[in-house]
Amino acid sequence: MSRKTGRRLFWVVCLAACLAGFLLSVLTGPVKTTPGDLLRFIQSHDRVQAAIFIDLRLSRAVLAFLVGAALALSGAILQGYFRNPMADPFVVGVSSGASLGAVIATSLGFEAAAFGFSGPGLLAFISGLGIVSLVYVLSLRRGGFKVETILLTGIAAGALASALTSFFLFMRSDSYDQAVFWLLGSFQLAEWRQAATIAPWFVLCFVAAIWLARDMDLLALGDETAQALGCSVRRVRKAFLVMSALLAALSVAVSGVIGFVGLVVPHWVRILIGPGHRALFASSALAGGTFLLYCDLLARNILAGELPIGVITAAVGAPFFLYLLHKKR
Amino acid sequence: MDVALTTPVAEGDPPKAGGPPGLVLGGAGGLRAISFAKPNRGLPRNREKDQIIRASGPQDLKDDLGRPFPLPERTQERIVSMAPNVTEILFALGLGDHVAGVTRFCDYPPEARSIRRIGGLVDPNIEVIQSLDPGLVIAFRGNPLRLVDRIRKLGLPVFVLDIGEGLEALFPLIAKIGRVTRSEERADALAAGLRRRLEAVDAAMSGAGTRPKVFVLLYGQGLWTCGGESYVDDIIGRAGGTNVASALPKKWILYKREQILKDDPDVIFILARSGKDFATGRDWLLRKARVESVAAVRSGKVYELDENAASRFGPRLVDVLDRMVRLLHPELFGERP
Repeated sequence: MSRKTGRRLFWVVCLAACLAGFLLSVLTGPVKTTPGDLLRFIQSHDRVQAAIFIDLRLSRAVLAFLVGAALALSGAILQGYFRNPMADPFVVGVSSGASLGAVIATSLGFEAAAFGFSGPGLLAFISGLGIVSLVYVLSLRRGGFKVETILLTGIAAGALASALTSFFLFMRSDSYDQAVFWLLGSFQLAEWRQAATIAPWFVLCFVAAIWLARDMDLLALGDETAQALGCSVRRVRKAFLVMSALLAALSVAVSGVIGFVGLVVPHWVRILIGPGHRALFASSALAGGTFLLYCDLLARNILAGELPIGVITAAVGAPFFLYLLHKKR
Repeated sequence: MDVALTTPVAEGDPPKAGGPPGLVLGGAGGLRAISFAKPNRGLPRNREKDQIIRASGPQDLKDDLGRPFPLPERTQERIVSMAPNVTEILFALGLGDHVAGVTRFCDYPPEARSIRRIGGLVDPNIEVIQSLDPGLVIAFRGNPLRLVDRIRKLGLPVFVLDIGEGLEALFPLIAKIGRVTRSEERADALAAGLRRRLEAVDAAMSGAGTRPKVFVLLYGQGLWTCGGESYVDDIIGRAGGTNVASALPKKWILYKREQILKDDPDVIFILARSGKDFATGRDWLLRKARVESVAAVRSGKVYELDENAASRFGPRLVDVLDRMVRLLHPELFGERP
């Protein structure tokens, strides 16, 4: 099978799975609904059914898809950025920084909403971006910019943020239950406004990433070669870092820290369609969104209550990751 | 020792200092038992008249977030309770039949277990709540505010209640739930019964000479206890004891072993969910915790408290108080038959 047919097949399968995922999301839930109910609902409006189909299930599915797409795109960008397949939004400290912000907000009782985010969401966004900027500034200091430096600085800053997170959790043990849903992520409280808040940013970053994808291909050859081939390395690198940090911080702000999507999905896509970044970015976004859509289906249907979605992404993601590692040998 | 603590100790066996037979929580039985309480007879009726005017005029009912809440004209048919103590109060008000949804922690009274579960305190399924089409949702502290807001945005009437300080806060809590469910009369009766039991304890305590030092152990990992900000601290004080951790300005704290040796409590209460948990906890305390020098351990004054009753801010706290009084001051009950 040629690469082109493979890519086409991938797109068809992914799109079909995505549409099926949306349909399943709207049809399944603790309240039993049949396709017939949905058809009847479209014809005649019912208040309770409207709330369940549109306000609860569809908004949740759309948000899960957007966040999955944003995380996978962020991961794909960072893996190219670091030329390292282990990179994901955790590596530069976005995720740990954002969870620190959320936990601080929860334990201080800072719940007010602003700019379409809840209090913890807003603080998560700010601290997530703050940590990346800090990491970036620290890595720049000594004699130019090196990928290894930013990687290590990011890991160290992430560890520090995690330690502080644990500290705040320990000090305010009564907010622990609530914090779990930030630390492991959840779409329990999804609403249309959240989707509307992150959608424009996602589209902006997505278009920019596709536009700059050619430069990312050049970066893969090494910074010197890329420079020689006419890519303004510093500017492109900065743009990609900002994009990936923005995508990850926005995701955490609406849904908490969801691991493994940013790490696993780009790998999966790269194996199936090859390393060209334009296709990789687009496919990662689609596949990541679809993956998280199905994970959320499980998260809200396995138990009577709600399961943090991070549990599911890791449970599905980790074995898959191991399989990939094994298969490569 | 009394280990089977799912039955409140006070049932049918109230403190001696006056008052009617103890209010049996839940159902009309309890209400009948205290309906002869004359001072309250006229009051609810007047209030009802008042509220007819209020319901049609500007609303002045507010929940504990300070948000105005439209006072319903009558008791709602489908009430969703988002916390176990709220469920207990609803049942104590005789509204069990109106409760359409409860959390998975709502196991008291036993009838609550057969009601549709909405999930937990922080992870209820909003879709289930919506599908119950509730006329009233009562949330409590412990339900995240973001969650409450999300439910409110569906257009559901959410009434939010906060925990207060000490046992005294039970009364406004019951009154508010009574008001929002339009069961003011029953709420007054319930409150009056609880008030009499508290006063009975106060009266009995005036005769108590000593104040034993008390340590409360939360069964589980290590020496977790309740600090001065916990309402359990208030219960200990009312029961004529002194909480050794009273000076610590927290609700729950991990106590230090050397500190408990120094404090040397006379009585230790273990908050346990079952007799088995209590036995395990007591064994650990007596044998492995290395606190043999503590007076309570030497004299064997290690007693069980029902964790569910003591950790929910509801009417059963008065049962916990009754039990504590009897264990701390047996002399008050032994001498006067």
